Amino acid sequence: MTERVGDEPLLSVRDLEKHYPITQGYLSREVGAARAVDGISFDLRPGETLGLVGESGCGKSTAATSIINLETPTGGEVLFNGGGRWNRQRNEDGSHPNDVTAFADDELFAFRRDAQMIFQDPSSSFDPRMSIGSSVAEPLQVHGMTDQGRRRAIVEDLLEQVGLAAKDYDRYPHEFSGGQKQRIALARALVLNPELIVADEPVSALDVSIRAEILSLISDLQDEYGLSMLFISHDMSVIREVCDRVAVMYLGEIVEIGDAEEVFTDPQHPYTEALLSAIPTADPRAEQANIELRGTVPTPTNPPSGCRFHTRCHRVIQPDGIDIDQENWRSLLNFRDEVLAGQVDVESAREIASTAAGEGDDADIKSELRTEFDLPESFADASVDETLADALDSLLDGDDETAAEQLSTAFTTPCEQSEPVMTDHGDGHQSQCLLNESAQSAPQPTPSDD
Amino acid sequence: MTTEPLLSVENLHTTFTTDAGTLTAVDGISFEIEEGETMCLVGESGSGKTVASESITRLVQSPPGEVQGTVEFRGRDIGEMDDTELREIRGGDVAHIFQNPQDALNHCYTVGWQIVEAVQSHEPNTGREAARERAVELLTEVGIANAAARLDDYPHEFSGGQKQRVMIAMALVTNPELLIADEPTTALDVTVQAQILKLLDRLQDEYGMGILFVTHDLGVVAQIADSVVVMYAGKVMERGSVLDIFEQPSHPYTRALIECLPGGERSIDGIPGTLPDPVDPPEGCRFAPRCEHAVPECRTDDHPEESPVSGDHLAACIYYKPGYDATVIHGPETDAQANATGGVTND
Amino acid sequence: MATDKSSRFDNVDWEAVTADSGRALSTNLLGTLLCVVPLIALLVYDFVALGQYEDTFAFVGIGYDVTQLDWLFALSLILFVFYALLPLYQNPRITRYYWREFKRNRPAVVSLAFLTFVFVVGLLGPIFISQPEIDLVTQYQPPIGMSVQNTYPVQCLGEVTSGASGQLCHGSLAHPLGTDSRGRDILVMLIYGMQVTVKIAFITSLIVITIGTAVGTVAAYSGGMIDEVLMRYVDVQQSFPTFIAYLLILYAYGGGLFLFIVLFGTFAWEGTARYVRSNALTKSEDEFMKSAELTGASTYHIITRHLIPNTASSIITILTLLVPGFILAEAQLAFLGLGDPTAPSWGQLLSTGRDALPYAPWITLMPGFLIFLTILAFNFLGDAVLDALNPEAQAESE
Repeated sequence: MTERVGDEPLLSVRDLEKHYPITQGYLSREVGAARAVDGISFDLRPGETLGLVGESGCGKSTAATSIINLETPTGGEVLFNGGGRWNRQRNEDGSHPNDVTAFADDELFAFRRDAQMIFQDPSSSFDPRMSIGSSVAEPLQVHGMTDQGRRRAIVEDLLEQVGLAAKDYDRYPHEFSGGQKQRIALARALVLNPELIVADEPVSALDVSIRAEILSLISDLQDEYGLSMLFISHDMSVIREVCDRVAVMYLGEIVEIGDAEEVFTDPQHPYTEALLSAIPTADPRAEQANIELRGTVPTPTNPPSGCRFHTRCHRVIQPDGIDIDQENWRSLLNFRDEVLAGQVDVESAREIASTAAGEGDDADIKSELRTEFDLPESFADASVDETLADALDSLLDGDDETAAEQLSTAFTTPCEQSEPVMTDHGDGHQSQCLLNESAQSAPQPTPSDD
Repeated sequence: MTTEPLLSVENLHTTFTTDAGTLTAVDGISFEIEEGETMCLVGESGSGKTVASESITRLVQSPPGEVQGTVEFRGRDIGEMDDTELREIRGGDVAHIFQNPQDALNHCYTVGWQIVEAVQSHEPNTGREAARERAVELLTEVGIANAAARLDDYPHEFSGGQKQRVMIAMALVTNPELLIADEPTTALDVTVQAQILKLLDRLQDEYGMGILFVTHDLGVVAQIADSVVVMYAGKVMERGSVLDIFEQPSHPYTRALIECLPGGERSIDGIPGTLPDPVDPPEGCRFAPRCEHAVPECRTDDHPEESPVSGDHLAACIYYKPGYDATVIHGPETDAQANATGGVTND
Repeated sequence: MATDKSSRFDNVDWEAVTADSGRALSTNLLGTLLCVVPLIALLVYDFVALGQYEDTFAFVGIGYDVTQLDWLFALSLILFVFYALLPLYQNPRITRYYWREFKRNRPAVVSLAFLTFVFVVGLLGPIFISQPEIDLVTQYQPPIGMSVQNTYPVQCLGEVTSGASGQLCHGSLAHPLGTDSRGRDILVMLIYGMQVTVKIAFITSLIVITIGTAVGTVAAYSGGMIDEVLMRYVDVQQSFPTFIAYLLILYAYGGGLFLFIVLFGTFAWEGTARYVRSNALTKSEDEFMKSAELTGASTYHIITRHLIPNTASSIITILTLLVPGFILAEAQLAFLGLGDPTAPSWGQLLSTGRDALPYAPWITLMPGFLIFLTILAFNFLGDAVLDALNPEAQAESE
């Protein structure tokens, strides 16, 4: 047993990676990888709640299961310093004795007592054929508590603490509501007295009124037992309610991390801005200043180059020499990407143009294409107009390749060319966006790993 | 503008026969939807809001379900219709979209095929090419980029939000006058939810249809609703315009729900207690067991009638009956009232 | 309640608990071991100390030689008691729940009662009733309520009346269900046949469950090459002509009921293995399985505590389809004269009545009717069990 020294974090995740191989053929040849989690790093201090937020498919759940070693990560370190593992030094070969990903079986078994997890779906989180008392007591049994009476006493006490009755011990999962099951799930996660709880969307499947109860229970228990928590959610409003710090994930990477209050009041990454603006407010008079994120999260198998968010970013940077309305610039880039992907269907535009009121000539088709892709008839920049007109001509001639080349040489954005690095905004608030890099004339070096 | 509402529901009862007894899911609710209006039916899960929305076009399976009461669509009583007319209503003037788009789309066919099918069954004389064009048009309309190319994709190639867009496109095929949307955004990410809400708003302006939006999320309600019906345990607790509901919530339950929203006073406590047993509801007001303002009469009298708070704003609470002081509920002065238009009083 | 210090989760000294934790045997395992160990001892004694034709229980004065089939039957009974009946008793709440769900299905309740009757009578009957004796004098006695021309029985035990076509022999209480061509009492033969049926059902179930579950779980949890090999083997076995193999072995080496049960049992577990495997793969995505894994529980623990109980209802349903098949197959083989002549099965009785069908139809009808009822009962039961043992589906529909 060692004591905690200084501000050593409880959990320290470094460059965590989880790639799922994509295989093909009979010999299971690996042809690529889905980079679900692609190098994330953060610290979690004792007693703190860190929110991990992002849209579905951003890898936040995979991050959770990798951290808790339900799945083996393919790279990086997860240093867990709790459970009497404080203040251990690195081995000579550079590995760390507290690295969960390298734990031997017995260490991992002991780690299970220190870190537990709560899942999203209350309907499948309990064995339907086991009384909930046995389910909650199961971890005790697995960890060698053979005294059945003691197990029962502990579980009954715990059930009361999460707001149920001791007599619920013998009842079965189907007899409980979703909210009650989530309370029981909390009891099961607590029963081994862990220091860390990973909560994967624990309230997403619940009604608003019950959601509030569960969140309140979580924070009460957290205060009482000094739990640290990694709280995963897609809902910024829930995160705001419970988290001390927030990490925003997009496509396997953390794009912004910082103090919850700071991130919410002064978001530095455009993606965080968009997420925040999507929270519905309970004020019917408020005009939602909604930043609409177009499109969906790209596939993690082949993430976009440069900044991964540039394909959807509403503040994507315009190159030197182009200065048009930001919204039009976004549309222009979307159009370019569709042409590059060979996804623009001139034929159907032609059909629509010919069935519509117009003559069905080239001008009509072009205007149809412009409407389809939200492109205005003219831009503030004549050279842009010219390139677009040329490209449309090539498209109509059936020469997709030329069109693609014309568009891709003229319209480029720094966002797709250079990968942004973490910019520090002070107090541990960091974001990963080129805009912020250029704003800070002398970008500070990324903070060291400790 | 006709005086006749688009949809008028009066004293709707839906019961299910179960082993445990008769389960009353919807217990005498009434509301009206005007043309081009968005009405939100709000309640917790188990409040009967979904059953209520399905009872309108008699989608409730019978038996074990049984629907009673009058539902008039443009003055025609849906309850009196025979199966053919019902099918016409369901597939024509009233369209449904559901919470889980993946369950509503057939995975064996391409999305285009399914829309074409819908178009052709609505207008049997449409040729295949014309139907495909209509499909492209609709998909573009609901914001599917590159609709023509995606027509031949299968549902699994679409994301959750896109599937919901496809569902909306299919609902638009018939140019419905009323769209019943049952928690269409609950299964989606917040960002995607925002997109879908925006889309519905735009489509409503374009098509002028009425929307009955069923949800448990008051944040969503605030964004899209014109009028709101708050349901609890099969009963209407409060109804009124969206401003009435949010700026002068008059039923203790509505107040509690609003306070549960993130950032609200109760966002960390919730409403204590659980929904009553629908087979054996409590005597008196349904909400009384969980209500902090309940007086003994709440538990002994019948469930209170809806009483006017102001104008069309009704609340089913004893405090709005003569002889009770309603200020007990909203307190002498609340933030909400301070924000309100000013002159509105509740007596 | 429970303010005692040791009964609070945050006061558990895990160092101490893990240090002095022994492996506690569950009641079920303990009971099974207590019964199986003497059984094995007896088996060893029978094989080593006794000659082939000596009675196993001669040392206590019972003249009964335990057959190979009996050993397996005893084992399956022990497992049935400790892993099917005892858990139901240990978890009264869920048992009551299952029963509530189950009894909604009236035909299934009647079926269960009937099968229980067959089980109990088949198990105990032969102990109390001695084997039917061959007595040619009493051959072809009709059952009560039926009659036969008095030329067939040598001596009519019941009333004799004269009818249009000569004298008629009526049934009597001495043989309520009549006798066969060799004068054996049909009721007694049916009871002995029940035991054969029960043995077929239990032993094949034991074989199918054991091999099927083992192969299914191993395939699911090993994955990769092992999974591939096992599942391809299952494919091969599926197309294996068990019937022809049975005939070949029968002609080459001779055989009996033991051969039938073991052969048909060991070539019938593919469905179970496939189902268990796919169920294991689906269930492993369920959050309760992940939670169990997160407690640090071993794969063995997860399989026995969570996977198998959650597969049980479907395995039982598979069995209710398989077992009638075996009973029918045995009857068919016996009827064709390919069965075990020493085993007093229903099928055997069926075949003895074959020649006498025109004048003594009861010999065929009685076992035929029982076979029909038994198979029907299994089918009704299968449906109801799948519905009743599925708390999840119920909870959702409410």
